Amino acid sequence: MDFTQTWLPFLYLYGVGGLAFIFGMLIIIKSRALRLTYALHSKWARVLIFGFIFYASIHALFIFIAVGSK
Amino acid sequence: MNFEVGTQLDKIVILLYFTLVMGFGAYFGKYSKNTTDYFFGGRRFAWWLITISIVATGVGSHSFVKYSTKAYQYGLSSTMTYMNDWFFMPLFMFGWLPIIYYTKVKSIPEYFERRFNTKARYLATLMILLYMIGYIAIQFLTLATALYRIYGIPLMLTVVLIAIATTIYMHFGGQTSVIFTDLIQGFILIFAGLLLFFLGVQFLGNQTGLSGLNAFWTNLTPLQKLPLAHFNHPPDFNFVGIFWQDGIAGSVGFLFLNQGLIMRFMAAKSVNEGRKAAAINVLCVLPISAIVVSNAGWIGRAIANAVPGVLPLDLAANDVFVAVTNIVASPGVFGFIIAALCAALMSTADTLVNASSAVIVNDIYEPLSKKEKSEKQKLEFARLTSIGVKVIAVILVPFFNSFDSIYEAHGWFHSTFTPPLVVGVFLGIFWKRFTTPAVIATFLGGAFLMVLGQIYPELIRPFSHGIELRPGRGYSYIGALYNIFVCAGVGVIVTLFTKPESEKKLNGLTIFDVHKLKEIFKGSAINEEIGEKLVINWKLDDSNSDILRFSKKDMNMMKANPGDLVYIQDSRWWLGGLKSAHSIFGKPHNEDGIVYLNQSHLDHGQFVEGLSLKAEKEM
Repeated sequence: MDFTQTWLPFLYLYGVGGLAFIFGMLIIIKSRALRLTYALHSKWARVLIFGFIFYASIHALFIFIAVGSK
Repeated sequence: MNFEVGTQLDKIVILLYFTLVMGFGAYFGKYSKNTTDYFFGGRRFAWWLITISIVATGVGSHSFVKYSTKAYQYGLSSTMTYMNDWFFMPLFMFGWLPIIYYTKVKSIPEYFERRFNTKARYLATLMILLYMIGYIAIQFLTLATALYRIYGIPLMLTVVLIAIATTIYMHFGGQTSVIFTDLIQGFILIFAGLLLFFLGVQFLGNQTGLSGLNAFWTNLTPLQKLPLAHFNHPPDFNFVGIFWQDGIAGSVGFLFLNQGLIMRFMAAKSVNEGRKAAAINVLCVLPISAIVVSNAGWIGRAIANAVPGVLPLDLAANDVFVAVTNIVASPGVFGFIIAALCAALMSTADTLVNASSAVIVNDIYEPLSKKEKSEKQKLEFARLTSIGVKVIAVILVPFFNSFDSIYEAHGWFHSTFTPPLVVGVFLGIFWKRFTTPAVIATFLGGAFLMVLGQIYPELIRPFSHGIELRPGRGYSYIGALYNIFVCAGVGVIVTLFTKPESEKKLNGLTIFDVHKLKEIFKGSAINEEIGEKLVINWKLDDSNSDILRFSKKDMNMMKANPGDLVYIQDSRWWLGGLKSAHSIFGKPHNEDGIVYLNQSHLDHGQFVEGLSLKAEKEM
């Protein structure tokens, strides 16, 4: 297995997708659609960041397992 | 390839299932009093009900068939389209969702009219209808592909019979029927998918002498265990093409433009409940759904690796799901799993048919009618429309049957129909400067350049990321990147050369106004104080005004003032808001623990005499 089968898709997914995610977070904060001073909104902001890390971790874990398997 | 599948028992199980769902859907028709109830379910449901019904909508019968095919060919990477939807959640949950909920738009095209003009609305209507009706046709084709093998009825006749069956419960029920049948079907299809995985693993264990899961895992190659496909190879299944087609165009199309999904969120009792439904769906339910729809293919691949010859060598792409299920499931259980495929079809098709009717009634029938139509006339027209939509979908089935696989038909669909709408709605929401001439140019000029790309694939080559060009078939998935680029390019260039819209016209329609949408929705200053939720008894009064009257003490506990918005529901939580109503706090009285409501609230909420209600201040 080479890089184009393992980590390149991962880096592309979370690089380009990550840009879309960061753009989204910045615009909702800048436009005050998400107000971090509100307790409920602050909880939602944490959920949004957790979701990103959650999916990146699942994909990374499976790539590690596949690379290490026979 | 021909193979025999199913027994008499399986046929009976499938027929029983159809009958049960049709009866269930027709029962909930009594909750559709007007077009708002018929299309939107009366904005009243709890997050968990919306979540489960979204599962059943997102997992169509095509999902079982198309993902099983790719899972069989490529392994775990078949899940990647279910695991790439989080990137746009911030924009959806805090941008688009509050906009559509609080501005009370009834359809996506209506948003285009408010944000731009009538011409933009009609162009959006045309594109959205093409998209949804085509999607319904794919659903019909998928289920017919499975059922005609079992019943031995010709494929097109099977398609017609399925269309008639879904019409029966849709006709009477509308959105409330859709949500409740989807609730039961959501559970059934998740259970059936996981059952299939369990049976498959057990079958592999019996065949290899290893423990089930071990037999499954060791009989997949390392390549088949990777969660993402090869970056740019082969042309019919590569990471980068599918990322742009599904992760970008598909995700934005699904979250921002799928009228069926939008209507689900509008049926939520509040924006926060909608956010909960969206988050739980993407974080928890989609990964489970990925296993549910793909596992027949993984099991099939492990069987083919471990015990060659059990599955036919010339197994056709679209037959993987049925063939694997037929091998691992016993008679009766096979019928149940195919019934789950029916569940998937019916729940996706009914949502899309209901959504298409909503678009036709709200964006064609009402605007073009010279006289104001009564609720009864609109409801009748909506029901007739749902039949018309199905007829057109049936006619389109042979076209989609001409693709190599349903996966490719669906991929072509996303990359062709969503980009102009994706660009139009995205720039409309997130860029105030985006103008009306620019959105028209995006639709027309963008579509023209997209057609050029189909005819001259060399135009797409700079975007291809090294994906091989298939002679005579062009670029499939990566075409989405070219299509988005040309549509966005046209939109941006025309915007820069045209006059910006006035601030007044844009009020409440872009993300920059989301913070003041609640006030626009309520029509007065909002009351954000957090109060208690009360369980309360009700009494009927003869008032005609849309107000609910609570005692002074109860209003203090809820931190409510006259004029604030209130939501009441039957206090039994498991009804999920089915029996509920929205209203306004009236002047208080002195009877603690009692709410006075009128006949209209009672009719809408279907409250039961002697049973208490739960009341909460909304804003």
